[in-house]
Amino acid sequence: MAISIRIDPLLHARRMSLAELSDRVGIPASDLDLLRRGGAHAIRFATLDALCTALRCQPGDILAHDPGPAAGEAPGQPG
Amino acid sequence: MRAFGPGSVSSLLKLALDVVRAALIAIIALTLIAAVAGAFIGADPDLLGPAAARRLRADGLAGAGAAILPGTAAAFGLLTLAVIERLRRIFATLIAGDPFHPDNVRRLRAVGLLLAAVELGRVPAATLIGLFAPRAAPGLSAVNPTAWFAVLVVFVLAEVFREGARLRREAELTI
Repeated sequence: MAISIRIDPLLHARRMSLAELSDRVGIPASDLDLLRRGGAHAIRFATLDALCTALRCQPGDILAHDPGPAAGEAPGQPG
Repeated sequence: MRAFGPGSVSSLLKLALDVVRAALIAIIALTLIAAVAGAFIGADPDLLGPAAARRLRADGLAGAGAAILPGTAAAFGLLTLAVIERLRRIFATLIAGDPFHPDNVRRLRAVGLLLAAVELGRVPAATLIGLFAPRAAPGLSAVNPTAWFAVLVVFVLAEVFREGARLRREAELTI
């Protein structure tokens, strides 16, 4: 998937562990680890809200879009 | 009415499944015993005395017919028991709060196939009974549209559960 989650750099910048983030947002560390490793299929707005609050950042700091080489050739793509 | 716990619909259904299962096991055991006894009696009807032997011969149950009738009933009972066992396992997942478990798709398809097997099995069963005990079970080979409709319903439900299992997986992976 072209969407990636960038929790690790934010955690590192704030000197916070995954367990501490888990405590702050009230989401199991295993779920956060799944999210961090890109194994999740979707993220709730509530989760994003909690992460942004705990990490003092914007959603765009957590989510990133990394289009692969074939992304521009996808059917229905404007352009 | 409550969904779970004592007095709920699910507890009544579970009780019904348990009762049907116990009754089926008893019926299968009796029919198997009857099939074995029928094999001996069919081979020598005079074992039961002259009057009973005359009646057996008049009913066309002398020979293999005496064993084939209960044997066929036992076979149908075993197929029905297999259906009940799968329904009980599906029900266990419902009680556990996880009705869209992926295994239930496989179980529902198996139920559909078993019900189809019961219906398809009527043709060879009717042929066998017609050969060895023609007066015992007339009309067994008739097509039962209700049963085939039930088979169709079960397969449709299996597809619904497949989609439910997919949504469950999606929900699990939504953080």
